[in-house]
Amino acid sequence: MLFEGTPQIENAVRAVLRDVLGLSQDRVDALRPETPLFGSLPELDSMAVAGVLTELEDRLAIVIDDDEVSGEMLETFGALTTFASTKALT
Amino acid sequence: MLRFGPDDAPTVIAAPALFEEGNRTRALLVDVLHRLAARGIAGVLPDLPGTGESLVPTARATVLRWREAFEAATERVWRSGQVASSVAIRGGALLDTLALLPARWQLAPMRGEEVRAELLRTMRAAGFDGDPAALSADGDGTPIPVAGNLISRRLWSELADALPVGQDGECSVRIVRLAGDPRTADARLDGTPMWRRAEATGDPILAEALAVDIAGWIARCAA
Repeated sequence: MLFEGTPQIENAVRAVLRDVLGLSQDRVDALRPETPLFGSLPELDSMAVAGVLTELEDRLAIVIDDDEVSGEMLETFGALTTFASTKALT
Repeated sequence: MLRFGPDDAPTVIAAPALFEEGNRTRALLVDVLHRLAARGIAGVLPDLPGTGESLVPTARATVLRWREAFEAATERVWRSGQVASSVAIRGGALLDTLALLPARWQLAPMRGEEVRAELLRTMRAAGFDGDPAALSADGDGTPIPVAGNLISRRLWSELADALPVGQDGECSVRIVRLAGDPRTADARLDGTPMWRRAEATGDPILAEALAVDIAGWIARCAA
């Protein structure tokens, strides 16, 4: 179940990063699971993190509690996708 | 206040998005109003208390004052003999509830609770680590700083249960959302959620699609 839904979740995460951070389609297409995000993407400052999380909530119909937000979930594209999948598919 | 289009035409009163989202979507909103004017639909963009050119300090703004100001702007349109309707973006959908309007159009409307959750997230990003329950504590105490802006505790409390006018699908409330948004909507359009973008660029394709949708709805419901 988790596995089946993951590509759609991954696409949603890419689209959110593109729309919220203003990244080009080429840049979001190039994101790999190991691509570092927070601290490496200059567009992703702490204010932008708030926008990314809220937009993920809207698009995936999930609720992210404050205490779930950590440096680890934002460390790489893979970590963020895994977090989003776990929230959306359980 | 900005006015667009002819004096003797059906008139939309714009309810802009709230706080930072209002800044981010202002260019889009003005673009849509210009495009409606080109289609013979007049527009009014009021400066609500504590926003734009308003002389009221931001910390004195409340949901009730915004709603009263929006109602007054609507009243002026009716008194001028024109049919009034509202076009709201995001949290702006909370502002037209007191106004006498046969038709309301909303882009990605929010409940007050959602506006508040976003404010809280912004405050957290700016370093606030207190208990949100304490923010409502005293009705008119010291204002709450949200990333450089002061908002009143009363406004914070009002947002807890502020809701847009209920939706019925066609004239009285028409809800438009962007394609990626799964929630209930009467129509979905392709476009970027400009309210999320720190460096908001224009989106003429979305503005045109919004103007077409609004103009069609005005022709059916409020002309």
